[in-house]
Amino acid sequence: MSTSSFKKSANSGLTFAIIVIFLALIGFTITGPSLVQKIWGDTLSAGTIPSYLALVVFLGFIGIWNGWKAAGQTGESPLHLKSAIFAGLVAGLVAGLIVMLYAFIVGSISARGIDLRVYLSLLSPESIVYFVFGKSTLIGGLIHLGLSIASAILGAFLAVSADRSGERISKWKNLVNNWTKNSWLGSLKKNVYLNYVLVGVVLLLLVLMPRTWGSYWNYIMGTVGIYILLGIGLNIIVGFSGQLVLGYVAFFAIGAYSFALITAPEPHHVELNFWLALLVAIIASAISGVLIGLPIMRLRGDYLAIVTLGFGEIIRILIKSDWLRGITLGPRGVRNIAGPTLFGKSFSSDVDFMYLIILAVILSIFLARRWQESHVGRAWLAISQDETVAQATGVDTYKYKLLALAIGAAFAGLGGALFASRNQFTGPEDHALMVSINVLCLVIVGGMGSIPGVILGAFTLKGLPEILRELENYRLLVFGALLVVMMIIRPEGLWPARRPNLEVKPPPKIEEKPIDAVSQGGDV
Amino acid sequence: MMLDVRDINVYYGAIHALKGISFHLEQGEIVALIGANGAGKSTSLSAISRVVPVRSGDILYKNESILNLPPQDIVKKSVIQVPEGRRIFPKMTVVENLEMGAYVHNDRIQIEKNMEAMFVRFPRLKERRNQLGGTLSGGEQQMLAIARGLMAQPELLLLDEPSMGLAPIIVEQIFDIIRDINHHGTSILLVEQNAQMALSIADRGYVLETGKVVLEGTADELLENPDVQEAYLGGG
Repeated sequence: MSTSSFKKSANSGLTFAIIVIFLALIGFTITGPSLVQKIWGDTLSAGTIPSYLALVVFLGFIGIWNGWKAAGQTGESPLHLKSAIFAGLVAGLVAGLIVMLYAFIVGSISARGIDLRVYLSLLSPESIVYFVFGKSTLIGGLIHLGLSIASAILGAFLAVSADRSGERISKWKNLVNNWTKNSWLGSLKKNVYLNYVLVGVVLLLLVLMPRTWGSYWNYIMGTVGIYILLGIGLNIIVGFSGQLVLGYVAFFAIGAYSFALITAPEPHHVELNFWLALLVAIIASAISGVLIGLPIMRLRGDYLAIVTLGFGEIIRILIKSDWLRGITLGPRGVRNIAGPTLFGKSFSSDVDFMYLIILAVILSIFLARRWQESHVGRAWLAISQDETVAQATGVDTYKYKLLALAIGAAFAGLGGALFASRNQFTGPEDHALMVSINVLCLVIVGGMGSIPGVILGAFTLKGLPEILRELENYRLLVFGALLVVMMIIRPEGLWPARRPNLEVKPPPKIEEKPIDAVSQGGDV
Repeated sequence: MMLDVRDINVYYGAIHALKGISFHLEQGEIVALIGANGAGKSTSLSAISRVVPVRSGDILYKNESILNLPPQDIVKKSVIQVPEGRRIFPKMTVVENLEMGAYVHNDRIQIEKNMEAMFVRFPRLKERRNQLGGTLSGGEQQMLAIARGLMAQPELLLLDEPSMGLAPIIVEQIFDIIRDINHHGTSILLVEQNAQMALSIADRGYVLETGKVVLEGTADELLENPDVQEAYLGGG
């Protein structure tokens, strides 16, 4: 083994040691194992320390990853068993030693009775004791060292065997692909009726599910639904027309507040009918979209992003301000916002509200699709790819950019109104910057310009955190990590946009002929 | 007179890009604007298509001022710009790019006909019709950009550096196509750094230098002119 690959393995070990220490410092060495324990089916009540076995498994996975990486970095193809194992050993040893050192230092500080929570709020004495497996810091550290080396070697071994079976796997994949293409499964995929059946099944589920969900799940799913609405709206602005708007929450706030103020008994005593108020909220948001759009139409890219970012905050601060207290009730927020009624009957139970949201989502998806496939959608597509050329082909870029903003804002208004109505309350803190970021994240994670992507993104970013309650403290961390990982492995998003091919004619056959000048004459 | 540009001034912020440029174009002509980088050739085209604002002067198209029209109305008047640098829509297919060219037209049958005509003129594009624009080679992209311009049925085509970054053999092809388009009745205003090539197909030409017209004449006169030969044709 050369010194350079020795260095690489040591480097890999160092990186993984830093990862483990980082996780330990933010208390994730408790959260991680409790997730592990949950996955294998144990029920853990909040606040209890998971078993040591779970910690071993959790750290073991990280160690295996370490070994796997180190083996890959030997740069041999195919991987050589001996050098891979050696690389794993080095990486595991380095990682283990550093983690051991960390355990020793933190353990002895903690043993002296110094509470480290002063510096890092999640570094409780219990978590430190747990991290050293309830033993003394020295023995705990040794366990870490052993675990690190063993798991890294295992990882290296796995990397080698995966490398060897890689060819077999790809053969298998081809076989399966061919089989699905040629057999009835392939023909089923192309079957149009199947689509209708699928849509029918989904609709049936949507009708049946809210009744069985119970109020907690209806609440969560309702939130997901509202975020789908927001995502669809922002997707029209960012995904379709290509304008990076960061202050989307402004439209959400305007929708929520205009709905709240005309239905709540205080402060204005208007108490309009739900449906009428909903319409007003949508229109108010759309108009605000145009008003904001007018001055910023000439801005592109980063400038647009920053100006709109500021705008989102301005709206929230205005709502909160003393100056507008008479109109918006300031930081106290608006209470007793009306719920939906139908033919004079109240319609605002959890289940009813869920149906309302589902209906709104379906309607929005339908509308967004229609727009996307229309003349307008084509104009947006052109603008998002090259605004100058779009202009040169006769697209009224000004009009269509404004239209995108107005439509996107209208969806936000609908979402905001439903949100306010469901909670029967809305305050300035419901409309913080985080909403904009969440919605933008779900659009990006799902796949910009893709409506199914938005739905998937909303479930991933708003639904998953509810399921993984343990991760709540780490939501921002997970967001960041998720975005980084997404940008690396799936830059197009979870469900990338695939535009319908509007041309019906089959592609012409390319005849065999000598390559002419055009195909030869490349430039750069 | 088809196009009459009268003493226009264009500013990019504080930079005075066009300092009172005048030129004209008769029906059926190819007129070349030549000059070095930054002389104001592309800006002149963009001023006509209204992509950049003109501060003073006037632009007459068929004896009507088009100075206050928005870009899309210029397109509707069949004055079409093909921007420089092969600016096609990279994530649209060839067919979709061509459809974008006909964006201001509504007649489906005519669009279909025009598209077939494009495929006759550019067989390469027919082969690539369902490929994304961004995956085409440089020459193909330039052809697509020109074809997209033609889809709008231009009476006046504003071509911005069609030879930019292309292999000499492709440049020859592109210029043959330009001449052919002109033979079919489209007037062409051609901006080129490749002065030799541009003047070889043009009827008349203007030499631009730092935002001013310094020389004008028929293409042959300019080709013979010692100053032009010195500065733009690689020595006398």
